[in-house]
Amino acid sequence: MSGQRIEQRPRLRAEEPPARATVVIRGGRDTPDKLRSHVQRTARAWSLDGQPLLGISVFAVLGEPLDDLLRRRFATFRTIYLPTVGGLADRGFELLPTGQRPHFTVRLRRANDQELGELQEALGAVQPNPAYAGSEPWRGED
Amino acid sequence: MYLVDITADLNDEDETGYVWTFLDEARDPAQIHPGALVVAGDEEAAAVCQVVDLVPAGDGMIVHLRLLPGLVDDYRALVERALAS
Repeated sequence: MSGQRIEQRPRLRAEEPPARATVVIRGGRDTPDKLRSHVQRTARAWSLDGQPLLGISVFAVLGEPLDDLLRRRFATFRTIYLPTVGGLADRGFELLPTGQRPHFTVRLRRANDQELGELQEALGAVQPNPAYAGSEPWRGED
Repeated sequence: MYLVDITADLNDEDETGYVWTFLDEARDPAQIHPGALVVAGDEEAAAVCQVVDLVPAGDGMIVHLRLLPGLVDDYRALVERALAS
């Protein structure tokens, strides 16, 4: 049994776009091939204006400190990316306010090798997640 | 390196607030049912999750996963303690 792609346009949150300086978080260690598989998964499930939506998930640092968001949502990731909204926009990547705030989808237009490479570069250098090893959310939250 | 029950991008969430992926990305789809505990993610980033529900979407079936606290290694240690004596 299968259904239609889930149209995201009416589901987008009605909110102001985040400022260019806003940091966004993506957990894990991506490669262009992994990014391609994630983009394809999104496109299988979601559409935007009737077309498959090409995108990957990120979380914006909005309304809570970076460290809190890392501990709350990213404790299982050894590594993270911390690009900014402006850095992604400078390479042509739009952020769609999908799901629950502060989740966003970074929208791709073609998801070809060139664009996936540009996305990889826009994410910046992968870095250790300071919330990983010592986070222990079920023991460490206060 | 993890051998996961179901491949997922643990960054993915939808309006439910749960992580989601497709049922056909499970090693054994029969193991994926509401309430089941599974390891989801990929070889580098994995987490213990509880299956919430399965919903048809696109050309397949979406699985919603509740991300449980702690690392996979924490659960291994928990089980080892529980079975130690």
